[in-house]
Amino acid sequence: MEILKFLWTIFYINLFTIGGGYVMIPLLQREVVHHYHWLSNKQFIDSIAIGQVTPGPLTIMNAFIGYKVFGVWGAIGAVVSTYLPSLIVVTIVSHYYLKFKNSWIVKAVFKGIRPAVIGLLAAVAITLGRASLADIPTSLIAAGGFAILVFTKVEPTFVILGAGVAGAILF
Amino acid sequence: MANTSVKNIFLVFLKIGAFAFGGVYSMLAFFERELVTKKKWLTHDEFAESVVMGQLTPGAPIVNTGLFIGYTLNKLKGALATVVGQVLPSFILVLIISYLYIKYQDIALLNAVLKGVGAAVVGLIASVVYNMSRKLLKEYKSIFIAIAAFLCLAVFKLNPIGLIVGAGVVGLLVFGGEQQNGNT
Repeated sequence: MEILKFLWTIFYINLFTIGGGYVMIPLLQREVVHHYHWLSNKQFIDSIAIGQVTPGPLTIMNAFIGYKVFGVWGAIGAVVSTYLPSLIVVTIVSHYYLKFKNSWIVKAVFKGIRPAVIGLLAAVAITLGRASLADIPTSLIAAGGFAILVFTKVEPTFVILGAGVAGAILF
Repeated sequence: MANTSVKNIFLVFLKIGAFAFGGVYSMLAFFERELVTKKKWLTHDEFAESVVMGQLTPGAPIVNTGLFIGYTLNKLKGALATVVGQVLPSFILVLIISYLYIKYQDIALLNAVLKGVGAAVVGLIASVVYNMSRKLLKEYKSIFIAIAAFLCLAVFKLNPIGLIVGAGVVGLLVFGGEQQNGNT
């Protein structure tokens, strides 16, 4: 059955790729567009855009692919196949992490990793900035968002919604 | 931070899942604001650990970060509550968009909205860096690791997973002795 092939494809891509949605895109494209011909290349690119406009993880785009090819059950199946591998692996990893987190080795390792996460996020901000801060309005939106979040108690929700409205008006 | 009810975990992640437009990094900013600053379910240390766990496990990192937080708060039930809450709003939205897409085949307005949101996400993630730096970078060794990590990624384009593993090794070498002697 075609839908089982689809669900298995989604499942194993999510089980074997580390690094997130953008790492999965080439694999997904190879299977969905070039191998099985479930979507055209334009439809595939639109599915990425849909994954980006919706809140939450990019991989929700799999639900769109499922819906497009197999209807509502395809969408539901795609969501389960996408997140089931994570649920299994993270549960196992968390279990052992919590068991050993107070050992000196784990403590020392994480004391090194935690500051690296800050460096990692700072590098992400730079990369994203290069891609999306194209002109003065976009730079002002970014600077405004930063100032609001650091100096006030306003929720990120309003910053994001406000920026979306500004985008619709300005661009 | 244990024993937070499944219902409370679900509701917070439902809220994050519904409003964290702008992708994975916007969602991290929401996690920090909701779970660390407002609810105080996690410390900044634990938040950094959950980010790492998300990066090192297969699948969508942000979902995995949520799963790890859920598991630490309330075992398997907590983990399930996070993934369902996080994914449900966007799933419903995707169904609606898919229906409209198949009918009209056009997403031009969405692209304009995306451009504004994309810019705000840069500010959002910068605010997380700022908050975490103030909490976690208290000694010069940590500051040095953070700067080195930033340079490895931004200038030398190192793979993030390689970076995390490398930072772990550095941590073991630099902090191993003091941790073994029981200092924290």
